[in-house]
Amino acid sequence: MNGRPLAPRRLWWLAAGFTIWCLALVILYALHAIGCAFAWSAGPLRVSLAIVLLLHLIAIGWLWRYRAAARRDSGPEPISSFMHSVVIWTLIAALVATVITFGPALLLTTCV
Amino acid sequence: MSVPIEPQSQGMSALRLHRQLAAIWATGPGVQKLAAVNHSVLGMRMMITSFVFFAIAGILGMLTRVQLATPHAAFMDVETYNQVFTMHGSMMLFLFAIPMVESFAVYLTPKILGTRDFAFPRLTAYGYWCYLFGGTILTVSLILRSAPDGGWFMYTPLSSHVYTPGLNADVWLLGITFVEISALSLAMEIVVSILKMRAPGMSLDRMPIFAWYILVTAMMMIVAFPPLILGSILLEVERAFNLPFFDPTRGGDPLLWQHLFWLFGHPDVYIIFLPMAGVLSTMIPVFARRRLVGYKAIVVAIIALAFLSFGIWVHHMFTVGIPHLALAFFSAGSAIVAIPTAIQFFAWLATLSHGRPRWDVPMLYIFGFFFVFTCGGLTGVMLAMVPFDWQAHDTYFVVAHMHYVVAGALAFPMLAAFYYWLPLLTGRTAVHKLSIPAFWLVFIGFNMTFFMMHLTGLLGMPRRIFTYSGDEGWNGLNLLSSVGSFVMTIGFALVAIDILVQLRFGRRVRRNPWESTTLEWAMPIPPAPYAFASIPHVDEQTEQVGPGQLAASLARGEGYLGFTRNGWQEALGVHMTSGEPEQLIVLPRPTYLPLITATVTCVAVLAMLFKFYWLSLAFAFVTFGLFIYAGQSAGHARDYGALPVGRGVSVPPHTEVAGAPSWLALICTLVANGTLFTSLVFGTFYLWIAAPNWPAAVTPQPSRLLALVTLVALAAAAATTRGSLRAAAAERKPHGTIALTALALGVALVADVMLINGVMPNPREHALGATAAALLTYVAIHAGVGLLFLASNVLRLGAGFISARRLTDLRLTRLWVDYTLATAIVALGLVLALPGLVAMLGAKP
Repeated sequence: MNGRPLAPRRLWWLAAGFTIWCLALVILYALHAIGCAFAWSAGPLRVSLAIVLLLHLIAIGWLWRYRAAARRDSGPEPISSFMHSVVIWTLIAALVATVITFGPALLLTTCV
Repeated sequence: MSVPIEPQSQGMSALRLHRQLAAIWATGPGVQKLAAVNHSVLGMRMMITSFVFFAIAGILGMLTRVQLATPHAAFMDVETYNQVFTMHGSMMLFLFAIPMVESFAVYLTPKILGTRDFAFPRLTAYGYWCYLFGGTILTVSLILRSAPDGGWFMYTPLSSHVYTPGLNADVWLLGITFVEISALSLAMEIVVSILKMRAPGMSLDRMPIFAWYILVTAMMMIVAFPPLILGSILLEVERAFNLPFFDPTRGGDPLLWQHLFWLFGHPDVYIIFLPMAGVLSTMIPVFARRRLVGYKAIVVAIIALAFLSFGIWVHHMFTVGIPHLALAFFSAGSAIVAIPTAIQFFAWLATLSHGRPRWDVPMLYIFGFFFVFTCGGLTGVMLAMVPFDWQAHDTYFVVAHMHYVVAGALAFPMLAAFYYWLPLLTGRTAVHKLSIPAFWLVFIGFNMTFFMMHLTGLLGMPRRIFTYSGDEGWNGLNLLSSVGSFVMTIGFALVAIDILVQLRFGRRVRRNPWESTTLEWAMPIPPAPYAFASIPHVDEQTEQVGPGQLAASLARGEGYLGFTRNGWQEALGVHMTSGEPEQLIVLPRPTYLPLITATVTCVAVLAMLFKFYWLSLAFAFVTFGLFIYAGQSAGHARDYGALPVGRGVSVPPHTEVAGAPSWLALICTLVANGTLFTSLVFGTFYLWIAAPNWPAAVTPQPSRLLALVTLVALAAAAATTRGSLRAAAAERKPHGTIALTALALGVALVADVMLINGVMPNPREHALGATAAALLTYVAIHAGVGLLFLASNVLRLGAGFISARRLTDLRLTRLWVDYTLATAIVALGLVLALPGLVAMLGAKP
């Protein structure tokens, strides 16, 4: 072994991207249900949903940029490099999943 | 207590080492077998037990096919049919599929990781007994003709007391929850063991892909099971005490059950699929004779799959009246979940196409899987499309799809895995004369049975029907389907005969007959109770040597812990990411405690079932007491400092490090617990926004003073736990601060119970009061369990198990109380907010 081992807390990064995807799902689903229950008009409801989606996309995009720009974690090279690329790819996958899952749906009729 | 800390003589012969280790690790003969805590013994028992349930559930499936083979069949009456098809589904899913994949994980994971056992052997045993007892309750109910009869997903209001007044639904709710305790406990220890007990040097990037699959699956189980456990508790409380969580006439909503059920139910499909995909990812490179293509891509894919599988539960509810926009979220999610699955498929195909594949029995089943699961995946994408689902919902098309994905994803890889690992279990290999025809019978029978169901479904045949009139055009297809089920059963019977024949007459094989590269082959076959005579160090050199050659060196004790010491069952704990040795884990010896504790739990469940509620509560307390009692003998009553573990390395025992397995286990427990709590909060908001008959006639007026007292007391408890830790770390007695913590928790408990007593509207009259009572009860239970933690601390302080270096107990108590405080803030905040939320409903159109 060379160098300090990679800190176990780094493992949370593996879940970061898709946790935000889950959060987006829950918030969008809840906001949509509340909007429909209280008969919000379609325009404001759609805009609210779009803003929520955008915020989540920004969050995942920022994490991606942050991890991609950050130096690889200190620690033995193979594990550090492995974790770095797995985290980056989970973030990219989460970003794509967020766009595909929630983006087109916002064009549909809101409460029918 | 004074015991030697130096290991017994190094450099001993392999045979002598074997004898010494076997004397420590082996399970005793005769009745002592009931005290087994060894993962090999328990894994094998789980496998056999799950196969027994598979056989029972298979027979029930056959009975349904006999009934449906012809129109107007009088083979069964409708009540019997309802019980039979409900039990077929429930047993296959809860008593066979999940336990079967767990049994593979239990038996194989420690071996593949190069360690000797799981972190909590007594918990493995407790999990097994809970599974056996829970399954037995369900099976006996079938014999007594009181089995569940509302379908395997127990939809409300059919399963409510009004429409199912007997014990049938209670058997399901209590029996299945009992089995889920087993699943959760095993999941937690799998996570801890994979992260903390790998062979030294096995960093995460070197971890066998099987372990990644099992790790992700176990994490999924920790998050997936609590919503169903909560749903089952709420429904049982509704049935037993008339709290109307799912009753729409009193502010409840039957759809809440569907949400909670499918929050578990959909990930469950992947909980079954992923371990089998792990099996495939392990076997395919061996038969392709090259490394797995796309290791990193597969790790990313399984993480993506785990999350996506949770986000698409509503695709089982496309017809319940959810607006199109929300349906589109779940439809898109259900479609893209195919992508990470496809990544794995292409990685397997690439491995095969770039390798030099060789044929053997497991490969037949692997190709059976490819065919069946691809069909199931394609119909899954069809059902993910809302308009198609509206047409096919609740028809036999869904039954066909479900069997192709769940049965196909499980049965074919499972049989491949059996043929692959049977030489490890028995030292013998299959008789090809039987195994090849057995495969073709299973494959042809499976497709004949279930492919026809696509067609009957498209012709409009609804699922769960007892009979049909015969003029719908389903007759021939149903008959073929029924004939197919018999062909498939003959195939499975032949597989069973093949395995039995192999045990007696199979060809003896040398070690590592498949020339695999994973560590389970670097041990004697069949495996010794200690698994590895010494624990390997994993590096490039080891990987090049291969398990066959490594085995001899390990048997001579040339790895870590190649000796015995104090009669301890020793294993190594490692750093989570790098795999560097970090701690010496001393595991408990065989004990009857898991059996006794599971028996007491079973009595609590049975008392609940037969409505002896006080007795049930009493036995629940005894169960907690037994857990505390079990904890009294855990760890060491003295400090040891660094102990030699071989290869020139010394590490402290697990009692003297911050990252002991029990710390990680409590974190896993709290994640599961937090998911249950989040589901409860979700349920409260769901009823607020969606349930009919809100607001209630009576407006809630919770006491702010009592809520404040509860929170302040819990905050004080959290502060005093820190005081206890500081005192113990400074070698002072922490009894005073522990007493203060107990006092604070007691005050919080009393104030919270007073809040529950004052809940309005009456919890039996409206779901608003019922949800408030549920949130407050959650806090009360956690404060009560906090007191049990303190009781354990006091006992263990008295017995010398806690010192300035051995602080794990006090740290666990602090974590538990912190969690109680955090959830209490949310729960009490929500209860206090309920009047405002109810007032907002006035603005609803």
